[in-house]
Amino acid sequence: MLVGTADLDALAAKAPRLPAFCTDTVSLARVEVFQAGFEMLAASREPLLPSGLHPTNPATLIVLAWRCAESPWGPFSLVQLRIGCRSGLRTRGFVWAAACDSPAVARELAARWGVPARLAHISVSRRYDGCSLAVRIGDATTLAIEAQDPDPLAPDDVQFTGTLTLAHTPHGLRLVQLEPRTQLERAERLRPRLERFDAAVWGHEALTPYYPVSASIGVGSIEIPPVRFVCRPDVLAFQGTESVGAAG
Amino acid sequence: MRFGLFFEMSVPRPFGPGVEPAVFLNALEQARLADELGFDWVWAVEHHFLEEYSHCSAPEVVLAAIAAQTRRIRVGHGAVVCVPEMNHPVRVAERAATLDILSQGRLELGTARSSTWTELGGFGANPDDTKKTWDEFVRVLPRLWGDEPVRYEGRCFSLPERNVLPKPVQKPHPPLWVTVTSPGTELDAAERGLGCLGVAAAGYAEQERRTREYHRRIQLCDPVGAVVNDRVTTLNFLYCHENRGVATERGMRMLGLFGLANSHLLWTREAYPTRAYQSLGNLAPAAASDAGNPGAARDAPEGICIGDPQQITRAIERWQSIGVDGINFLVNAMETLPQTEVLESLRLFAQEVMPKFQGVI
Repeated sequence: MLVGTADLDALAAKAPRLPAFCTDTVSLARVEVFQAGFEMLAASREPLLPSGLHPTNPATLIVLAWRCAESPWGPFSLVQLRIGCRSGLRTRGFVWAAACDSPAVARELAARWGVPARLAHISVSRRYDGCSLAVRIGDATTLAIEAQDPDPLAPDDVQFTGTLTLAHTPHGLRLVQLEPRTQLERAERLRPRLERFDAAVWGHEALTPYYPVSASIGVGSIEIPPVRFVCRPDVLAFQGTESVGAAG
Repeated sequence: MRFGLFFEMSVPRPFGPGVEPAVFLNALEQARLADELGFDWVWAVEHHFLEEYSHCSAPEVVLAAIAAQTRRIRVGHGAVVCVPEMNHPVRVAERAATLDILSQGRLELGTARSSTWTELGGFGANPDDTKKTWDEFVRVLPRLWGDEPVRYEGRCFSLPERNVLPKPVQKPHPPLWVTVTSPGTELDAAERGLGCLGVAAAGYAEQERRTREYHRRIQLCDPVGAVVNDRVTTLNFLYCHENRGVATERGMRMLGLFGLANSHLLWTREAYPTRAYQSLGNLAPAAASDAGNPGAARDAPEGICIGDPQQITRAIERWQSIGVDGINFLVNAMETLPQTEVLESLRLFAQEVMPKFQGVI
């Protein structure tokens, strides 16, 4: 089976530091949740994942954006670039990169859950005929997605896979498993189009989203419970999973 | 109770020279032995692009070879993907009728709609439409086989007046099945008079509920074909060895690797939100998607036919008691088991277990 071949030292160099595993549940309310999925080229399957994870076939890049009106730290927007993968038997998204529009929230996300969020200007715009997402870092728009033709869905038709971040934890360098619970009140599916994507700014030439699959937007709430499991990034989950916090 | 082999043609990496051919040739040998031993069916799936998990993209070719090399065993085209981007309904009818002729009336035709984005996306098919196209296919196939000529105006395809050739030798036509993955599909099967070709690992209680409901509903069916197929089969793994410990060690390794490959498929619902796909996958729908411990292995499905002959007999007796008419077996996965062990397992099963169920249909 295919496993990731990413340079772990390079990943470690940009991984956030978790002083302790988060033990409380954080609630986010009035969140607009936008998700767009793209297939990537086959050459992207392995180089973006540590060897403890399996890529999907085809390789997928999922862009997940939250525009959150209410959080313990105030309003913020967050964009995650997630590589579709498997940890053992489980469906996961490995957070390759992220951007946040609030310095304080970015620090919290990094310290609590290892989200590698850099500062950016993020715009999520929802209209009756579609929605758009744009991320500007410095003066450059590094990511722009336009999604059209909204089609109503039942909220539970939209699936959000579990999240893995890579962080320096009290256990060492680990994949940190986050299990956000997203409850949407309404949801729509759309047809995404990638208007702009700067792979170099996002950190790897293997980031090759070229084939739009689907997008969705919904409004609801998100709960992020305490971290229960971390995994060594260099061995498969069957051997490298450790319980922490609530599960420990 | 009837027994069959179920071929996925899973291929281990690395895909070096000779690896794929060995999988196909081993399957042919298994089919020949199954024919000699008295198995009832050999099924070949249709999958596309599913590296490692299934390289069986042209099952009609595999089944033609099997038909040519066997005398008695029935060949199951299981299942044809009823999505027009993958298979035009006329081509399905033509290929199936040809297989029925070449096998001298031994064809069983399964129907399906594909579960993965890898496949549907690869052919540019819209996941929202696959239930609809499947329904249209199963209604029109008997007409394409039976009417001379046939004219059809439908939703996913239309056909000006033509005679679709050849015609199957089985009259009125080969038995029709539908693969059952998601809960509820057994009712779709029942309402249309189609056999229930189970490909999901349901436990005893769940299978009993589904089977009971299927048999109740099929009494009231509006059959799509000229005959009703009211049989229910399940999918299982088979590794039979005199030594229970050896059987468990080898068989569970096969099962585990197949389950791992299965969980790595890119399911439609994961990539494309839709009402049309309510479950993830076919072996343990919840396990692949839930939060949970990624280090945990999946529990072995209930009633698995891995063990010594006595264990396997007990499992089959239980399946039989809840109304299952047949069991199709995966006998290897990714060539985990050497071919000699697979063949020995089949022989032992045929010698020690099958006789206990002969004549019990």
